[in-house]
Amino acid sequence: MSRTLRVGYIPLIDAALLHVAKAKGFAEARHLDLDLVRETSWANIRDKLSVGIFDAAHMLAPAAIAATLGLGLGHLQVPLVAPVALGLDGNALTFSRPLYDAIVGRLDGAPLTPRATANALALIIAQRRAAAASTLTLAHVFPFSSHHYQLRLWLKAGGIDPDVDLRLVVVPPPFMVQALASGHVDGFCVGAPWNTIACDAEVGRILHHGSAIVRNCPEKILALRADFAEREAETVAGLAAAIQEASGWCAAQGNREELAAILTLAGSSPEDLPRISPALLGQLLDRPADGPSSPPALRLDPAATRLRPSQAEWLFRQMAAAHQLGASDELEARVRSVYRPDLGNDLGNDLANNEGNEPGSAFERDQIIEILSEKD
Amino acid sequence: MPETSLHGEELRIAVIDANPIRAAILEEGLRDAGYRHILRVEDTSGVLERIGALAPDVILIDLESPSRDVLEQMFEMSRVVARPVAMFVDRSDTAMINAAIDAGVSAYIVDGLKRERVKPILDMTIGRFNAFARLKEELQFAKSQLEDRKSIDRAKILVMKAKAIPEEQAYALMRKVAMNEGRKIADIARAIITAAELL
Repeated sequence: MSRTLRVGYIPLIDAALLHVAKAKGFAEARHLDLDLVRETSWANIRDKLSVGIFDAAHMLAPAAIAATLGLGLGHLQVPLVAPVALGLDGNALTFSRPLYDAIVGRLDGAPLTPRATANALALIIAQRRAAAASTLTLAHVFPFSSHHYQLRLWLKAGGIDPDVDLRLVVVPPPFMVQALASGHVDGFCVGAPWNTIACDAEVGRILHHGSAIVRNCPEKILALRADFAEREAETVAGLAAAIQEASGWCAAQGNREELAAILTLAGSSPEDLPRISPALLGQLLDRPADGPSSPPALRLDPAATRLRPSQAEWLFRQMAAAHQLGASDELEARVRSVYRPDLGNDLGNDLANNEGNEPGSAFERDQIIEILSEKD
Repeated sequence: MPETSLHGEELRIAVIDANPIRAAILEEGLRDAGYRHILRVEDTSGVLERIGALAPDVILIDLESPSRDVLEQMFEMSRVVARPVAMFVDRSDTAMINAAIDAGVSAYIVDGLKRERVKPILDMTIGRFNAFARLKEELQFAKSQLEDRKSIDRAKILVMKAKAIPEEQAYALMRKVAMNEGRKIADIARAIITAAELL
């Protein structure tokens, strides 16, 4: 008899592994019937998972940590855990065409590195202040999101204080392009496919992929309530295995066309998620994002589903830097408690190690690299 | 500063609901209960400015609204609303929180408001949301029944013509097929119509 699981998701390309696990029968093979429920906000995902309307969810990794600690406005404080990640990277910084041109124009032909562009933005902000022009507004998707932290890291590299020198706001991903077109925001950090859509609509230009700021950046995880995971260990292991099998399937370039069809169906209405083409997926998943040696813009491969304690620790530091929590060892231990790769069956581990020839190579490849902390 | 000096009817309430009918039903209920300062926000753009202007004590928002994430960030920054805001009143009241989320609504409440003052508002909101959902369900049911009957009538005529049999016999035949296949007679009817369109 199969077990039905209600799983919430936000219509983004990185919900792909859930859709594939269902559509390709990887969940069914483990006697799991996934009832995938589309949601409109990360707050809904958090609340419906916390009160038990959802059994599992596609969730921003830091949002799961915040819910566990009772941070933010959730105030429910329900411990959550994750057995697998649903991918790595995938965000990009997109700016309005005038601001993009202004930033690039100030580089004087220097290479377009995140540090150089952040410095250029700092100059523009100073100039605007002198001219008493309006404060620039940049958008991300949720207070507890990698998007928010990537923006802050980039701004910091240019000596820009995001709490003083400009306005950071939240805009739901489906409204990003419109917010940029109307001049409501001057730029944003959002996940796929919204950056590409802004470019195609000639509203904005991608300045940097997220991986140019933080490589192998934690993104969405498969989140569950800790008590549920404890009660239904077998179900959770099965679901994690189905996700990992889906990631193996997604990694095969031959499956692009079918993946595009699955995601387009999942989006169902065009205003929420426009048609996902195989070409767009190829651009995101198969081609290096920034130059030949860089990783693709979005990673859904098996190694990218592996959770590592270092990722939770990195997120903890970003949350502290954004003044969302005070750093303490006790807190850090609770943050780490969300990442529970031991709840999965570690199939991803095997797949990842099979890809690299020597043990450990996959680990190094998937470590978080803060590009801006390196010397340019 | 606790706001205990305010009378109940002076609480400022913002209702953010993409469904104008449901918002109107809720507003009506709140007005009947004596609340006078109610702002309905239906659009998603400009939510921040309008809420900032009202400085509400209680914000009721439907869970379909993507503006929830916008609001949460805004309250954290505390730039628009001067006082701290929390979701619901206190986190120990899980029954209330569950009932609200189940009904499809969430509430943000400024700090310092007493539970007794907010509870009637939340109770009414949950009640109206649930009643609205029931109404919608009943309407949906009535609609699908009407459609079923239309399909069955159309299919019946097709069968009568094709087999040159009277109405009762055509209906009996469709019912027999439905029973044999373990499907609804309306499903069989729709299959007959689709087949007839193809042939």
